[in-house]
Amino acid sequence: MPIYAPTLPPAPDLHQGHPPALVLMRFDLTRLWRQKIGRFFGFAFLMLLIWKVARIYVDHLLQTNQAFKPMQEFARTILTQGADFQADLLNPASYLLWFLVALVGGGLVARDTLYRVRPLMYAHPVAPRDYLLAKLGFASLLPFVILLPFALLPWLMSLLLAGFHGPVWTTAPLRLLPAMVISSVLMGSLAVGASSMAATPRAGIGWVLGLVLGAGTLASMIHGLTGIKAVDALNPIMLAEAWPQLLVGVEHPMVGWLPALLGTAFHIALWTFVAARRTRPSEAVI
Amino acid sequence: MLTLDRASLRYGPILGLSPTSFELPDGGGITGLLGPNGAGKSSLLQLLSGLLPPSGGEVRVFGEAPFRNPAVLARLGLVPEGDRLPTGLRADRWLRMMGELSGLSGEGLKAAVAKALTTVGMADRAHLTFARMSKGMRQRIRLAQALMHEPELLILDEPFNGLDPEARLTLMALLRSLAEAGTRILVSSHILGEIAQLTDRILLLFRGRLLAEGTVTEIRQLLDRHPVELRLTGEAQVLARWAVEQPELVALRIEEGSVVLSVRSPRDILPRLQKAAAEGGIPLQALDPLDLNLDAVFQYLTKDHA
Repeated sequence: MPIYAPTLPPAPDLHQGHPPALVLMRFDLTRLWRQKIGRFFGFAFLMLLIWKVARIYVDHLLQTNQAFKPMQEFARTILTQGADFQADLLNPASYLLWFLVALVGGGLVARDTLYRVRPLMYAHPVAPRDYLLAKLGFASLLPFVILLPFALLPWLMSLLLAGFHGPVWTTAPLRLLPAMVISSVLMGSLAVGASSMAATPRAGIGWVLGLVLGAGTLASMIHGLTGIKAVDALNPIMLAEAWPQLLVGVEHPMVGWLPALLGTAFHIALWTFVAARRTRPSEAVI
Repeated sequence: MLTLDRASLRYGPILGLSPTSFELPDGGGITGLLGPNGAGKSSLLQLLSGLLPPSGGEVRVFGEAPFRNPAVLARLGLVPEGDRLPTGLRADRWLRMMGELSGLSGEGLKAAVAKALTTVGMADRAHLTFARMSKGMRQRIRLAQALMHEPELLILDEPFNGLDPEARLTLMALLRSLAEAGTRILVSSHILGEIAQLTDRILLLFRGRLLAEGTVTEIRQLLDRHPVELRLTGEAQVLARWAVEQPELVALRIEEGSVVLSVRSPRDILPRLQKAAAEGGIPLQALDPLDLNLDAVFQYLTKDHA
């Protein structure tokens, strides 16, 4: 009777799923969805959004209802108008958004470092660039998705109430969406870079906040010492606020086009580089 | 299946693994990678699992270089050392993600997760979070993630660390059944007893060098200059009188009710001992080899290379 060497059963059908970067992004998204942090920030952003949309309705009432005519002048003095108003659709959420990005993004890479998950991932058909792309993608997509209704809902409301002559320009999304993309990538790359330097998620949050606030403080100090306004472009918070203003045509008091471009490119390149270095397989010690 | 040709690994100025060569054949079986802490076991496993490229030489797994090679990585499973897993996460959700990273999806993914969980005996507890699992349960989940895509080569780094004896035996039985089913398994450990219980085929690493390769007996044969200790139980005086006449004897000591012989070439002396006992020439009640175990082999080899 012949003796056969043991053979493995047929291997399962691999290479059928989604790209690894997409799998990792979706995993981070579902994890965030189950956390209470999402509910708190969801409520906070919803309130801000309601205020934005209500503001459009109030503006419409002031324009169209004779009963509010006496209040028009007063309203103009306390509420931003014109291009400032367009840019302001995104800005009030800025600090809250940075805080959310720090809380969520700070743990993105640090959690995998703490639990040594990266060696496992890299031992699967996952390249370091897939991993980095997933983390950067998620950290950038988060602020973008949050900002999206702030750009679109007031615009839609304005269109519905007053057509092409409403308080929100009909071309506003075309200007605000690129600003959102730039700000989101800036936030995402900084969060992932900072998180990659941390050993625990909490330390990651500290790193993000420290870098954001530290860079702002440093920029203010240099500005104060040298009197060069362009140095403020090192401040990530100011950069994120400057882009909507620059793109809708408001001259930012501190940061012009060139400093904004250079400052944003510097931050994105630096923190992406840091994250790429810190998530190499050689850093993923077994 | 797996070939190292003078493969070495450097961490900057530190040599993690000296140029090392060995081969693992195709087909199932367990090979133990043995060595004390800092011997280079994890470095070797990092090379084999494609986490790092060799600093010199060549590593080939399934005929290809494993570093950043999806074709190789899809065919191997890795269980790294350590017990850390994201505490708040449910095991089944984590497994699904890892399965997707292996390229599984849809019904195939579901079936693979279920099968891997059944194999490791965790099918009814996979809904628990890692925080609510014991160390042994977490280790089984880590093994399940490496099994989902049914790898041909399974690499485990110190899988028995921190496990209680029962969990250790369960894991050993599981590994044996996988090996019998055709999976080639490479297990690293610094505990000699663990490897000795699991497999006879070992690779012995010490200070980044491969000291020996083969079965415990084969390696023991390399050590002819080290005498083997045999304890003969019976009338010590008579046994000692017989022993001093043997040319292989190197040393002898009499203990209570027994005599301990240090002999060279036990293969030569053992048949004569057996014959003398059978003919009633010596009152032998028991024979115990004292240092034919892995512990002794390890001690000898590391002492020689220290």
